[in-house]
Amino acid sequence: MRTTSLTTKLLSLAALGVMAGPLQAQEGRQVYEQKCAVCHAAGLAGAPRPGNAADWGPRLRAGKASLYRNAIQGTMRGMPPKGGNPDLPEAAVRAAVDFMTATVAAASKPAARPEVARKPAAQTAPAASTAPVRQAVPPAAAPVAAPAIAAPEAAAVAAPAPVQVASASLALARPEPGSGAAAANAFNRLLRPPGKRNLPPAEDGIHDPAVDGTLQLQPPLAAFGAMPRSNAGNRVDWVKALAEGKIAPRWERDKADAAAVVMDLNIVREVKGSMPDVVYPHKQHTEWLDCSNCHPAIFVPQKGANQMSMAAILLGQGCGACHGRVAFPVSECRLCHSKKKDGVAAGSAAPQAEAHR
Amino acid sequence: MTGRALAGAALLVLAALTPSAACAEYGDVLLNRYSDQGGVRPVVFPHWFHRIRFRCKVCHDQLGFEMRAGANDVRMSDIIEGRFCGMCHNNDIAWGAERCDLCHSGRPGLKSGVYGGHQTTGPGRW
Repeated sequence: MRTTSLTTKLLSLAALGVMAGPLQAQEGRQVYEQKCAVCHAAGLAGAPRPGNAADWGPRLRAGKASLYRNAIQGTMRGMPPKGGNPDLPEAAVRAAVDFMTATVAAASKPAARPEVARKPAAQTAPAASTAPVRQAVPPAAAPVAAPAIAAPEAAAVAAPAPVQVASASLALARPEPGSGAAAANAFNRLLRPPGKRNLPPAEDGIHDPAVDGTLQLQPPLAAFGAMPRSNAGNRVDWVKALAEGKIAPRWERDKADAAAVVMDLNIVREVKGSMPDVVYPHKQHTEWLDCSNCHPAIFVPQKGANQMSMAAILLGQGCGACHGRVAFPVSECRLCHSKKKDGVAAGSAAPQAEAHR
Repeated sequence: MTGRALAGAALLVLAALTPSAACAEYGDVLLNRYSDQGGVRPVVFPHWFHRIRFRCKVCHDQLGFEMRAGANDVRMSDIIEGRFCGMCHNNDIAWGAERCDLCHSGRPGLKSGVYGGHQTTGPGRW
């Protein structure tokens, strides 16, 4: 055990130097064998099995970044954070993920001749603990040797369960059967899953992670921590955050203490159909905006002059200039449609207005 | 066979390296009218970061930004001369124009527009 941890250190030191790739793969394999294989080798509780393309297909499509995150933070589906090894460095978890995903690509080779793949498995598995030591002694030679060794090792992991190899070869014959349909039929497939909300700039897909500036920018969650949450948009209730003094955005560009010019006037708009009527509160809007932001370009300040429909709003007209882009989106129906039609409006409208305030 | 495996691995790596732009924070605006032509990365404007510090009207009234994405023709010379972003990004209120990569930190080749807009990402996108 001590030799292996020493080896790990040697390997990680060497990895800092010249050839990071093969040596990290080596470390990943060790971590896999010591920690991950307990569940992942047999696919306990739905754990994706190494070398099994059907298990890994949908996960790989979600991206390496999300695989790393799920492995480190854990998932609701059963993966414990870091596989239940809190002491494991994140780099080691990533290396293990790399190792397991690499076996999927490598499985295409042993799948062609499974009987050959199974034989070296029996030999390499007992020798596994000595193999890394041999490589660590001449680190300069390791990069050359490692890629050649990597293939049988990958086969060794895939081989213990011959059924997996068979399913992998089936999966490879027709690229990812079922997994495509599984993704298409996934529950709420178009909604942003919890793991993809409020990502730091380097992972959000529009920042270039290669730029220093991206890494210096504040991640959203660092700023949102103390603010009241909501179910949409930035997942921050901005109106509440302002009302509670959690944020103090300036009203004037260069004056920190200028007070907002707020107008408290509710406009009720009756709507067709069964939806509750809309209560438009000037108060919450003028906390943020100047009259000229909306009038007269977006809304003519005259009763009955503004025809509106949800379709137009969805296309960015009227309220849609902000709601759906920066202000809460139209999925939050009841924040606007808050006044019951039956005349006893005050009772139903008040709690909503409170919530809004 | 090896070639195919290699190609497969390359594809996997590519897939891992190109996260979807659907993960952008709500209200992030990408500005790329001139950046790609000028050989710099496009600008990412995060609404959330600014609205913690300023009310909407500061930029959309005092600074002269139109409310509609694409309606503002902002050149770097404007900013350096103190118009638009340059009214605050002047080393007085916020960092100045010489810290290029804090703003020019977008992925090259992305189209201008509001990213991270609505909740959904597929064909039913609102």
